[in-house]
Amino acid sequence: MDINDVDEEECGFSRNYFLAKELGSSGKKSTLKISDIDLVDEQELRAAAGNIEPKHEKEIIALVNSYKKMFPRWVFELRCGFGLLMYGFGSKKALIEDFASTALTEYPVVVINGYLQSVNLKQVMIAIAELWWDQLKTRQKTSSRILPKGQQPFDSRSVDDILAFLDRSEAEENDSFVCVAIHNIDGPGLRDSESQQYLARIASCSHIRIIASIDHVNSPLLWDKKMIHTQFNWYWYHVPTFAPYKIEGIFFPLILAHSSTSQSAKTAAIVLQSLTPNAQSVFKILAEYQLSHPEEEGMPFDNLYTVSRERFLVSSQVTLNSHLTEFKDHELVKTRRRSDGQDCLYIPLANDALEKLLSEINQ
Amino acid sequence: MSLSAAATDSPPPPAPDITENNLQPFFVLHQVSPQKSNKKSTRTAKTRRRIDLTPSLPKSVENLEVEKAEEGDHGYVNKRMETFERVWSKIELTIKDVLRNLNISGFNEIHRWVRESFNTIKSFGTPSFPEATQSFPIVKDATSKQVFTGLVLTKNMEFVDDLLTFEELGLHLKSQGCHVANLSSLDFSVKNGIGGCLRSLLRQLVMVTLDAPDISILATWYREQGNCNNPVVIIIDDLERCCGPVLSDFILTLSEWAFKIPVILIMGVATTLDALRNTLPSNVLHHLRPCKFILGTPFERMDAIVEAVLVKQCSGFRIGHKVAVFMRNFFVSQDGTITSFIKALKIACAQHFSAEPLSFMLLWFLIEEDSQVLEGENYGLPSEALLKHAFDLPSYRRNKVTELNWDTLVHGLSELKNLQNQWSTVLLCIHEAVKSDKIHLLDLYCEALDPESGILRVSNAPKGIQKDSTISPGNKDMHKKYPSLQKGGFIWQAICKLRDLPAMQLCTLLKGWEKHTAGIPEIHDKVKELLSMLKFEDSKSLKGDLIDMSKRSASRSHLNLGKDSKAASEKAARLAEFMVGNYMQALECIAFHEVVCFKDVDKLQAALIGDPRRRIQVDLLEFHNIVQCSCCGRHGNTLLPSMHDSSIMHALAQEHGDLINLHDWYQSFKTVLLSSSNKWKNRVKHSPSPKKRKVTTEHAKPSEAAIQARFCKAVTELQISGLVRMPSKRRPDYVQRVAFGL
Repeated sequence: MDINDVDEEECGFSRNYFLAKELGSSGKKSTLKISDIDLVDEQELRAAAGNIEPKHEKEIIALVNSYKKMFPRWVFELRCGFGLLMYGFGSKKALIEDFASTALTEYPVVVINGYLQSVNLKQVMIAIAELWWDQLKTRQKTSSRILPKGQQPFDSRSVDDILAFLDRSEAEENDSFVCVAIHNIDGPGLRDSESQQYLARIASCSHIRIIASIDHVNSPLLWDKKMIHTQFNWYWYHVPTFAPYKIEGIFFPLILAHSSTSQSAKTAAIVLQSLTPNAQSVFKILAEYQLSHPEEEGMPFDNLYTVSRERFLVSSQVTLNSHLTEFKDHELVKTRRRSDGQDCLYIPLANDALEKLLSEINQ
Repeated sequence: MSLSAAATDSPPPPAPDITENNLQPFFVLHQVSPQKSNKKSTRTAKTRRRIDLTPSLPKSVENLEVEKAEEGDHGYVNKRMETFERVWSKIELTIKDVLRNLNISGFNEIHRWVRESFNTIKSFGTPSFPEATQSFPIVKDATSKQVFTGLVLTKNMEFVDDLLTFEELGLHLKSQGCHVANLSSLDFSVKNGIGGCLRSLLRQLVMVTLDAPDISILATWYREQGNCNNPVVIIIDDLERCCGPVLSDFILTLSEWAFKIPVILIMGVATTLDALRNTLPSNVLHHLRPCKFILGTPFERMDAIVEAVLVKQCSGFRIGHKVAVFMRNFFVSQDGTITSFIKALKIACAQHFSAEPLSFMLLWFLIEEDSQVLEGENYGLPSEALLKHAFDLPSYRRNKVTELNWDTLVHGLSELKNLQNQWSTVLLCIHEAVKSDKIHLLDLYCEALDPESGILRVSNAPKGIQKDSTISPGNKDMHKKYPSLQKGGFIWQAICKLRDLPAMQLCTLLKGWEKHTAGIPEIHDKVKELLSMLKFEDSKSLKGDLIDMSKRSASRSHLNLGKDSKAASEKAARLAEFMVGNYMQALECIAFHEVVCFKDVDKLQAALIGDPRRRIQVDLLEFHNIVQCSCCGRHGNTLLPSMHDSSIMHALAQEHGDLINLHDWYQSFKTVLLSSSNKWKNRVKHSPSPKKRKVTTEHAKPSEAAIQARFCKAVTELQISGLVRMPSKRRPDYVQRVAFGL
């Protein structure tokens, strides 16, 4: 790229930015609200969202088929030691899995769904190590090479040990490796720097090859040069598919539905179900109180403590506090000051939503 | 499965468990059965199909089809893979050697200092065995609590280049008997605290992994098994990135135990020595006894690598002019790390071997006994298809070699190898002349590769050096003769400089040339001749026996003393011109160079620098170009309902400021979907073309629910792409635009 190009680009970028800022503050900001749209019922919206007719089906199939013809080349590059990084608009999940199941049949493949909210990377490493161990065992049968007996099971080993096992260089295993396909390596479950460091360390093992996809425009900011060039060793591929982000978008709220009652009750129910039964019961006390005292601003802490203790839900204020912290973290409960100056707790949900929630967790 | 409509024509992957798999954090897609893993070896026997893939073709559908054909040709793919591995390991090894040689004097200096420091520590006294194995430190006076610290200035903000240096330093010190542990800034994180670095230390030195690491374990280990005759060296590669408080704790601990465990710290500093003061509090600084070391600059290393890998015939693999210029610019103005330069070279190498069918012949360059390999049946050659490919190469057609058989190819390649050797020699000679002027070999290399000036150089070259030709071409004359040596070009500068070189320097230069040109007798003799003349004149002038030589160059100089050396340097300049003219044929002008040379700069750039920020937005804005549909592209900037929903939304978002009012956005989206769908319908009706686009015309007016659902989906997709951010609590009716401009 020419230096001038870069300069021009920079210039264009800043100009656009300031133009946008100006537009935003020029006073003619629209004040219309979402509620001014004649919103359809959420059920109907979800049903419609499930039935969106894809556009340009034929062309997109042709586009994806053109990528499929590059599969041999991708395998070649993996064998050369690169990690493939796929980017471009559209879900690349099907493409990558198709690649893995048709072109990588000679290598074991692990798939990580980075678009999920949380991924336990240690578990992933154990799975990879077990696969690799199996691979070595099958090789041993064919090549009559002796592997060390009495392996310690991988789940009781430390991360460093597992990585060292995967990185052990054995000359004759030159062209054999485990492929790790990572959908959305920039996804919510993998976006923190610790996960990325672990992934980079996995990727730098001599018997691992990575095929990953990114969707966020700023994902390269996750990596420093060491990770990009020496650990992941990325080989970029621009493969826009324009395929809908069906699964990747499953955890995103529909923007025109997020304010409605059932949605917030539903998310609250999901959070609650992941908590302990005692915590759920404490929440129920608070909810019932709020429903029975609609005019009050909330339930005082002492009050909640007394009732919870009577029902043997908590043994001390510390336990109750830990429950409350959990609630507050998920924005299930908030505090506010009553007119008499006392702090009290309340659930930031409308009464009908609260009723719905209670019936849901009581099921 | 979420199989997009796109992939439906592929053999359907196992369907039932897929949906479950989609919600698993991870799963094993497939394992390898033993039969499958043996498949590789049997594949080689498959029939070979015709290949006519030229590396210069763009990534078109046509090209890809060819590649499919190539897929069947597994034997050659494996052969190329094998060649790639050998070529690349050769290059990698060469680079490592080059860097090690550059660093070796620095490493030795550090080792000397380590030994001296160790002796100083030992002079404080040695603790008795029971004393030393107690699990608490021994209290001593302040000086013995100081930790010897070597600060290695890397002169390079990019620490990634120095990782290898510190690894090598570790190996070097280990080979000298020291106990070495390499720590990185990741070991000094707030989260793990001092436990993290101790754990890593024990892991590397004592070979144990403990949940509760303790430095007393290290002390015990040090006193046992005769470890105590050598110092413990801890190398931390990037001081600036370490967490200050953790590092401080670590240093304090070390200083308390300094008497029992003679630890010597070596820290890499990317900026200046101030970094130490900024990272550590003064009470910790008191415990350090620092010493400064300096490593070579990135440019020094780069030139050494370019010389060993690209200019000299290290592996036979070469890069074309455009690729070289791109890699140079990428290094100089964008990335600045040698690591990425090397990676670019590796990508180029991989692309070459994956795309060029004949590339496996590079093995021949690696093996000294030339024709043996090719003549033997080692490759089962000649295959008709490959031969045909070879004679289809543009460079061959341009040069019109007559006979079309295997021998021509072999001969062509051996000629190529010779010409390249000459080219390298001349380039090194020229570099020798301008080394002191801070002209980098990389720049010189790029200029010398330029095929355009290369053609000119060779075609305009005088056929030989006439011994008695008058020596007086001015710069102007020279330029006429060698139009390629444009004013300001590095080669031109070098030749100009030769003219003004004093005798002493000229002598050293010629000695250098003598070494370089040993492989080309014709030049070698001339250099020797020139050298002897210079020596002869030298001795003459020393004696003071000045002979008037003005007959030859009367008009130029009035100073007799300078005249002789002037004549010699003029001769040297003419020799350089002769070398450049006759022996510096640019690679891309030689027949069959495609076999060894990678030229596809666009492909390299795409693979090396992903630009998701720009490309994803372009995907959306120029959707029709990528999908190549006939319906959306024709109508300039008007948004059509047939376009991808997210494309429409992204285009609409461009009209907003940094905040987008959801209501407005929705309304304009709705307008696009509804109103122009009618227009489009009409237009199609009137068009005489029989190819009616069914999909578009059949669209009934979408329902309100459908529009809202499509709106929501599009917002989600833009959100996944990071182009918009969700509404905040404070502004529930606005989304925030994140990316501005391309």
